[in-house]
Amino acid sequence: MDNLSVVGKRVERVDVRAKVTGGAVYAADVQMAGMLYGKIVRCYDYAHARVTGLDLSKAAKCKGVIKVLGPKDVTQKEYNGSVLDMMVSADMRGMLGDIDDQSIFTSHVKHYGDAIAAVIATSEEAAERAAEKIIVSYEELPVYLTAEAAKQPDAVQFRPEKPGNLAFQLPEMAFPDNAYAWGEVDKSFEEADIIVEDTFYVPKQKQCQMEPGAYIALYDDQERLNCWTSTQMPKLVQKKLANLFELPMTRVKINSTVIGGGFGARLGMVLEPETCALAMAVPGRPVKVLSTREEDWVTSPSRHPGKYWMKMGFKKDGTPVACDAKFENYKGAYYVDASGTAFTTGAWLGGMYKFDSLRYRGESYYTNQSICGAFRGYGNPQTNFVMEQMVDRGCAALGVDPIEWRKKWHKTIGDDGWCMGVPYNSCALDECLDRAAKAIGWTEKRAKYKNQTGTIRRGIGVSVMNHTSGAMPMLLEHTVCDALLHQDATVTLNLACSDMGQGSHTTLRQIAAETLGFPYEDIHIATGDTDAAGFDIGAHASRTLYVGGGAVKQACEDVRKQIFDRAALELGETVDNLYMEDKIIHVKGASNKSISVLTIADQGVNNFMNPENGELIGQPGQIQGYASFFPPHNAPPFGASIAEVAVDMETGEVKVIELVNAHDVGRAIHPGIVEGQLDGGAQQGLGMALTEETYYDDKGICLNNSFTDYKMLGPSDMPKMTNILVENPDPTGPFGAKGVGEAGIVPPVGATANAIFNAIGIQILEAPITPEKILKALAEKSGSKA
Amino acid sequence: MSSRVMRDFELLLPESIEETIALLARHKDKSAVLAGGTDLLVALKFDYAIDNVISLALVPGLDELDFDSAKGLTIGAKVTIAEVLRSQDVKDHYPALWQAAKVFATPQLRNTATVLGNILRASPAGDCSAALYATGGSLLLKNANGCRNVDLDDFWISYGVTARRADELAVSLHVPAPEKGQKSAFRRMTRTTEDLSKINAAVCLQMTGETCRKARVVMGCVGPTLLRLPKVEKILEGAAVTPDLLRDISNVVISEIAPIDDQRSSAEYRNKVAGVLVKRVIEAALNAKGDDQ
Repeated sequence: MDNLSVVGKRVERVDVRAKVTGGAVYAADVQMAGMLYGKIVRCYDYAHARVTGLDLSKAAKCKGVIKVLGPKDVTQKEYNGSVLDMMVSADMRGMLGDIDDQSIFTSHVKHYGDAIAAVIATSEEAAERAAEKIIVSYEELPVYLTAEAAKQPDAVQFRPEKPGNLAFQLPEMAFPDNAYAWGEVDKSFEEADIIVEDTFYVPKQKQCQMEPGAYIALYDDQERLNCWTSTQMPKLVQKKLANLFELPMTRVKINSTVIGGGFGARLGMVLEPETCALAMAVPGRPVKVLSTREEDWVTSPSRHPGKYWMKMGFKKDGTPVACDAKFENYKGAYYVDASGTAFTTGAWLGGMYKFDSLRYRGESYYTNQSICGAFRGYGNPQTNFVMEQMVDRGCAALGVDPIEWRKKWHKTIGDDGWCMGVPYNSCALDECLDRAAKAIGWTEKRAKYKNQTGTIRRGIGVSVMNHTSGAMPMLLEHTVCDALLHQDATVTLNLACSDMGQGSHTTLRQIAAETLGFPYEDIHIATGDTDAAGFDIGAHASRTLYVGGGAVKQACEDVRKQIFDRAALELGETVDNLYMEDKIIHVKGASNKSISVLTIADQGVNNFMNPENGELIGQPGQIQGYASFFPPHNAPPFGASIAEVAVDMETGEVKVIELVNAHDVGRAIHPGIVEGQLDGGAQQGLGMALTEETYYDDKGICLNNSFTDYKMLGPSDMPKMTNILVENPDPTGPFGAKGVGEAGIVPPVGATANAIFNAIGIQILEAPITPEKILKALAEKSGSKA
Repeated sequence: MSSRVMRDFELLLPESIEETIALLARHKDKSAVLAGGTDLLVALKFDYAIDNVISLALVPGLDELDFDSAKGLTIGAKVTIAEVLRSQDVKDHYPALWQAAKVFATPQLRNTATVLGNILRASPAGDCSAALYATGGSLLLKNANGCRNVDLDDFWISYGVTARRADELAVSLHVPAPEKGQKSAFRRMTRTTEDLSKINAAVCLQMTGETCRKARVVMGCVGPTLLRLPKVEKILEGAAVTPDLLRDISNVVISEIAPIDDQRSSAEYRNKVAGVLVKRVIEAALNAKGDDQ
């Protein structure tokens, strides 16, 4: 296996030249003849209100305006921007209870930025100026920003079919007592010598992908709906739009444009429904809809914030006997991913440690915040912040080393994974912990930072995580791939996997080259056209390399088999007796008998018949490989981070000094891309721990939906960082690879919190851990001592 | 809520100071002056509407950055933060200003934003403004009737409001020559490195040995304008700056400020750290080698 020629190499990324030279064409860059511009009118005055009047007449008279549309001028059908309902089996779909509760334009405003109406005009400026002339009157409704507020008995109900504004809880049918659980938790706690318990808050973090929403739609002269979008999931959005506009899939086409970052913000439909509705109103004219950053912020999903209660029990010897937890998330205005994240947040908890018993409840409550949905980690960073702080509190009470405890009690091969009944098939977490500890000097520093005095206090903390590569068997992971051998013996792969910057088109190409035994340069990946490509579930759950890579590998194996079959016939040998070198197939032990792949490929198309006698020459026909691939597992990535911080006791300021991330990646198909994923993940993980949160005033007006007041860590805020790639091939991954798209964000969250705990002896229960919160906690601690 | 499309305005491109002043006389408060534009262009994408934008791009004689050990420092209207940061004279003689320039925004913004623009913005969070307020200085304002000098002490009236009249062009800032034994420093706190200050402070001390002859102490983000802290200055003046004195000072600071809650921090936090920051900025001024922070 280690005799690899393309896999494991730092080849040039397929997208890098276009992106760094400005050549990449994003949706906003696309220009078409006769293009019109749509401007969506949103409610920025209230977070909860009924529309009592809508006057479109003045806007309709404005210069350049083609059409003005209110709620009744577009489809009345409701939809759910999330694609989760299309990723699960029919049985599961019924059980989850996902509902369609979004509409193109609404008369019941449920969050700051909800869409009311739209203008279509000949220029963006004309559309904007006309949109200002639309007059909307509102009746203000009470605002519910938290689950606690939304569940009050007299609260306005968001949806009749979801009483108590409880959008989702784990369904009784699959989760008795509405809990993801094993063992008898209450009984187990009786055996505990040490019990730790607290309620945490996890923040509404935003993906902050570089490209704000940009869409074009055209209802063309063949009555086909075309949509240009940088969605992460072209095939599911195609189906979603077909359902919404009641068109057969043959009449809906997604043209994928270059994706300027996703992180879950494009997982499903965002403004595709609105843009397509505008285009349907002006057949034959393309309509472009561009979001400002502020608009994108409140219309695309964010991470699920909420209250997260957890209780853990340990025996004196460290045995983890019980874990009980409840995550009540502040879902936002619409259902979207109410079910998925509420479940997985607990799944990552269940997948981590060998508790005798565990019980997790996840509930999603409607609130007047912008929608929550997929965001890198999908509940895992929330769980990491809480679980890992509770473990460290337990370790402190037990007087044991946090790394030693984790090494002893984390789940491993053979234990149930995040999906109960599907045991882990690979795990190199011990090696991750050992190498990370050595790299940062854990033992020495942990000893050194005991009993510090002085203004600046150092601390060091660890955190571990489990994640997934695709979501089999919970979700129906599936990618279709065609591999076409051209006459000149190069190969084009046709599939719908999107590359949102994570580098998947590069790594998929490496897998193809390695499988075929061809040079990297001989492979091209064609994507972006839902007419041409077969099914792909979309870029989510760290699955594109694992599942898409599996499909590419299988399709390329098919091509290779066909090449060898033809070569065997041509050479009069059995396939077993052949080998390939530099695209020439040789007979083992017979140096003079060979045929090139080029000859086979060319012969099949250009030279398969003798024109004089009509007899076939060689093997006719073009070779094409095909795979409709379902992965056998979910190849769990594991990872550990160790963070070292310095806390200023007078100001509460935290400086992250060093971060070491060690990840069990199975195999690094492209080490540079893996490191990039871990670097970027760490930046977002540290951000969640320290600075990032979208927040609202009492009226539900978003106060920081832009980079002015939403602070991500910049390059100068990042610590010295080391990424350790632990390569322990997974038996089911392509060349042993696991997904790493999400893993990097997770453990820095808990490691940072634990490092702060180590430095100041206090756990801060609310993320982000700001200097304001630290100083307050320090004052309370010294006050309670005095 | 910002817009992707700026509102219409007339872009005026005068080619001399006189021509600029004539345009200001004509358009007065119906005009905005564009130098670096890092505030103005952002405002124009929000609700700010202005009929005329008078660009200084083609106006000569506004890019002077000149230091004379007898006369002091002159900073022209078009001098950018980056130019100040590149100046060895500023680094040597006005460390507070240099330190403020060093942490100011990002390299891209430093290349465009001007020092005078920072002053004219009249924000209580202005970093270079805080440093210059501590150092002291006066603005040269010109209109069709002539010119006048306004001391920075009298320039900021309230949030976003200055003593500049609508028909006046701020031509340059003059900062006095440093006295012997002058020490200055700037410090701030931010949410992330590239951010506006949540609180900032600058000091300029005239020292004779351990004794402070004269002090100017400035704090930002703790009131509607940048504030001088007269009680702190009074304690410092004539005193030997000892750790005990610094402790006393940091306890007095809170009585001189009136911070509020906003997006960048809370009043509670600012009150808690203001004393610490003043203590630290004084220590920095006394200990600095000029290029710290």
